[in-house]
Amino acid sequence: MSKIGWKENRGVYTFLRPEERTKNKTRWKENVVAYTFLGPALLLLSMFLVIPSIMSVYYSFTDYYLLTPDMRKFVGLDNFINLFQDPIFLKSLVNTLEFVVWVIPLQIGAALGLALLLNKQRKANTFFKVAYFSPVVMSLVVISVLWLYLLNPNEGIINNVLTYFGISAQPFLTSPKQAIFTIVVVSAWQGAGFQMLIFLAGLQNIPGDVYEAAQLDGINKWQRFMYITLPLLKPTSIFIFITTLIGAFKLLVQPMVMTQGGPVNSTMTVVYYIYQTGFTDRMVGYASSIALLFGTIIGLVTITQRKLVKEDED
Amino acid sequence: MRRKFGPLTILEYICLVLLAVLFIFPLFWMVASSMKPEAEIYNDMSNIKAFLPSFHPSDWFVSYKQVLLRFHLLGYIGNSLFYGLCVAVGSIIINGMAGYAFAKLNFSGKKVLFGLLLAILIVPFETILISQFTIIHSIGLVDTRLAVILPALAGAFNIYLFRNFFMAIPKEIIESAKLDGANTWQVFWRIMLPMSKPAVATVGTLAFIGSWNDYIWPLMVLTDKSKFPIQVAITAINSTDPVYTNQVMAVLTISTVPLIIIYIVAQRYILEGIGGSGTGIK
Repeated sequence: MSKIGWKENRGVYTFLRPEERTKNKTRWKENVVAYTFLGPALLLLSMFLVIPSIMSVYYSFTDYYLLTPDMRKFVGLDNFINLFQDPIFLKSLVNTLEFVVWVIPLQIGAALGLALLLNKQRKANTFFKVAYFSPVVMSLVVISVLWLYLLNPNEGIINNVLTYFGISAQPFLTSPKQAIFTIVVVSAWQGAGFQMLIFLAGLQNIPGDVYEAAQLDGINKWQRFMYITLPLLKPTSIFIFITTLIGAFKLLVQPMVMTQGGPVNSTMTVVYYIYQTGFTDRMVGYASSIALLFGTIIGLVTITQRKLVKEDED
Repeated sequence: MRRKFGPLTILEYICLVLLAVLFIFPLFWMVASSMKPEAEIYNDMSNIKAFLPSFHPSDWFVSYKQVLLRFHLLGYIGNSLFYGLCVAVGSIIINGMAGYAFAKLNFSGKKVLFGLLLAILIVPFETILISQFTIIHSIGLVDTRLAVILPALAGAFNIYLFRNFFMAIPKEIIESAKLDGANTWQVFWRIMLPMSKPAVATVGTLAFIGSWNDYIWPLMVLTDKSKFPIQVAITAINSTDPVYTNQVMAVLTISTVPLIIIYIVAQRYILEGIGGSGTGIK
C-alpha cells in the first residue's frame, strides 16, 4: 500500500509531482466510493457466510458444546474418528447417496419426458404446462405435510386407489424399506415441473432447419432424438444435472417434516443429522466436523462439474 | 376437425392427460378436503367425490373459519409477508449496490474480491447452519425478526446477476449523467436500477419466494410463536391436538395462495433468473 502523497520505489519514498498526487487522490476517492457500495454486502456475506465457514472448520477440531462455549478445547481429529464409528452418521451418508442415486434419473428423466411431450404446437399446451408445474409453486413444507396425509397407510387416498386396482395397501413412510424411496418419488414429483420448463427452453432454442436438414437425409424419429436433440440439449442437461445433484445432496425438509428421520433412521440424511447433532443435541463441534466433511464433498463435486462443463465448451 | 387424429396423437393426448392427473390430483384433494366436514373426507376417500368439495356450499368455508379462530393464522401470514418483503427489498438494494461496484467502479482488490465471490457460490449453505446459528447466538439476535432477515439479504448469486446486467449498460449514459452533475449514488438510483428492471424483478421475486418458503432457519432462530412465519406455523399447527384434516388442508391452501399469485405475476422473471440466458450461470 502506498502512502498518500508519496511514491514508494524500492523502499525509498520520493515526493510526488502535483499531477501524480491528484491521480492518487482520485484513486483513493474511487476506492472510498466503491467500498461504500460494497460495504453492506461484504459485511453481511462475511458475517453469515465467510466467518461461519471458517468457524465451522475450526469448531470441527474442538468439543464445542453450544451452552458452554468458553469450556471448548482442541480435540484434534477426535470428532472425525468418532464420525466414522457413528452408525447413524454412516447410515445418513448411505441414505443421502441412495436418495441422490434414485432421484436424479427419476426427476431429470421425468422433466425431459414432459418437455419432449410438450415440444409441439398444441392448443392445450399451456394447460398441461401449468398442471405439471403446479407442485413447484407449493413450498416443501406444504407438499411434505400434504403427502403425509395422502400416503397415510390406513386412510390415505393413495392406498385407497391402490386397493381399488387390486394392489395391496403399502406402508410407505412407515416402512424402513419404503420410506426413502417414497421421499424420492415425492421430491421428483415436486421438482420435475421446474426442470421441464428449462428443458423446454433448451428444446426451443434448437433451430428448426437442423431438423429439416436431417429429414432430408432420411433419418427416423429415434435417430433424430439420439443424434440431434440430445447432443444439442447437452448444455441444458449439464446445468440441470448440476443444480439437481447439489439440491439432492442437501435433502432436509422432506424427511424432517414427513418422517423425522425414521423409521429406524432410514430417512436420516446428512444435513438433517448436522441439524440434529448441532442444534437439537447442541454438539456444535461434532456437527461442524460432519459439515466440513460433507461440505468438502459437495464443493469437490461442484468444482469437478464446472471443470467438465468448461472443457466441454472449449 | 380438419386435421385427422392418428393413433399416435391420441396416445400422446392420453399420456398428457394421465400425467396431468398425476401432477395435479394432490392439489385438488388438498383444496377439496379443506372445503368439507371432517367425516366426509374419510367417507369420500374411496370414490371420486374425494376430489370434490362438499355438496353443501354452506360447508365450504367452515374449516377456514375454524382455523382462523383457533390459530393466529393471519399473523403468521403477515410475518411471512413482512420477512419476504424486507428480504426482497434489502436484496435488491444491497446486492444491486455491490453488483454496481463490480460492474462499473474501479477499486483496489476488485479481482480478488470477485474471485472470492465466485468461490462463495460453491459454499453449501445448509452445512454451515450451525455456525451461522452460533453467530446469531453470540450477537444476541436469537428470537428476533432481524435474525430471520439479515442472513438472507446478501447473496453471491444475486450480486453476480446484477453485475452482469449492469455491465451491459453503456458507459456513455453514465458519463453524460455525471456531466449533468449526478454523483455515483444518484447514477445508481436513477440510471442503473431503473435500466435493469428485469434484474430487479428477478432478484426481488426469487428473494421473496426463498424467504417465504424458508423453514429450517426461522425454526432454529425463533422460539416466540408470534414471530413464526407461516411455514414454521404449518408444522406447529399440524402437531397441535386436536388435528383435523380439513383444517390442516385449509391452512395449506391459504399458505399457498400468495405463492400462486406471485408465480402468475412474475413467471417470466422466475424462469429467467434461474435457468434462463442473460444470467450467464454455468
